[in-house]
Amino acid sequence: MKLNERSVAHYATCNSPPDKTGFLFKKGERNTAYHRRWFILKGNMLFYLEEKESREPVGVIVLEGCTVELCESESEEFAFAIKFDCVKAKVYKMAAENQAAMESWVKALSRASFDYMRLVVKELERQLEEVQEEARSSQAKSMLKKHQLQLQGATFSLQNATITGPSQEGVSSRENGVSWSKPPSVPNGVSNTQGDCSERGDGVRPPPVPPRRKTNGGSLESPVSPGTGCFSKLHDWYGKEVAELRIEWLQSQIHW
Amino acid sequence: MRFNEKELVFLSRQPSERAAELGMRGPKKGDVVKRRVVKLIVNFLFYFRTDEDEPIGALLLEQCRVEREDDQVFSIVFLDEAERKYLFECDSQEQCVEWIDAIVKASYEFMRKNLIYYRTEIHRLTGKDPLEQYGISDETRFQVNSGLPPLPPAAT
Repeated sequence: MKLNERSVAHYATCNSPPDKTGFLFKKGERNTAYHRRWFILKGNMLFYLEEKESREPVGVIVLEGCTVELCESESEEFAFAIKFDCVKAKVYKMAAENQAAMESWVKALSRASFDYMRLVVKELERQLEEVQEEARSSQAKSMLKKHQLQLQGATFSLQNATITGPSQEGVSSRENGVSWSKPPSVPNGVSNTQGDCSERGDGVRPPPVPPRRKTNGGSLESPVSPGTGCFSKLHDWYGKEVAELRIEWLQSQIHW
Repeated sequence: MRFNEKELVFLSRQPSERAAELGMRGPKKGDVVKRRVVKLIVNFLFYFRTDEDEPIGALLLEQCRVEREDDQVFSIVFLDEAERKYLFECDSQEQCVEWIDAIVKASYEFMRKNLIYYRTEIHRLTGKDPLEQYGISDETRFQVNSGLPPLPPAAT
């Protein structure tokens, strides 16, 4: 089977950083003596060179699908083997120069596969998404809180603002000032003046009642006339109005 | 250069990321387009004659560049010999785009870059090194600055 050998050899010695390098003894394939070689581990490829200064590898072991085992060798201490699962697979017998080197190589080689790298990347990708999601939701929560506070603030200022409605010829129908009833202090309900079509079972006080408005023949269009019996509709409508006022206010701030 | 051919052939039989019959042309002058079954497995591109089980060849996809040559054609060049192009003819634009994307993402180096990015981001957002729990924070391959000392241990 062909392999793009020249480029593979180039990969060994090019300037991409290796994952591990060092001298190891490798048992020969024909000559069964152990030969000292310079090893370069890059990704899932283990290259071996005659000398550290050699420009080209003698060979390469594709590590995908391998297992690395410590082994008992009669002639060599600190021996380990690179094994493969396939039929009549090669066993590469290696030996390090000391215990620490052996352990370090065994660890590095057993984690060298593409599959392993892929697993770790997927796991970190998942973790990052989780972290980002948490950051987004806590940001959303704090923005919601801010919005709620602003909404309350806007409602408050609405209550204190002077609102003038459109005027019509000949008729003075200006609404000036705001007259409004004292906010109800009913703990969990809605004030009777507005009817009660929204049950609140949670004991939360309703927001202060927005001012009653006098409209002039529908010139201040509202989907629901203030006299409506349904509080929730009224609440929604005023809420919308407050939101619009807030947007106007925010926009006016931008032009400073 | 010697390599463990039997093991590589065994690898070519594993489930692939992507496989298709494409027109393939080798990099040598005089090479013509031939129909090949092309299989992407980890960072190797294997190619087979359409009716054979054993691959004719394999390309290690490290230190290479993938380019769109035409609507339905892409090429692979290796950085050490950029004049030599392997050409692949697809059946559709969509297929061409998908293959290019898959091959770009198939290199070990590409994955390493992603890993380093995720690791750094998680560390930045949480103050914790996500690799610590796996006991692999010191591995050279996961280092942010290729070979420089690993990230400092997380502040408690």
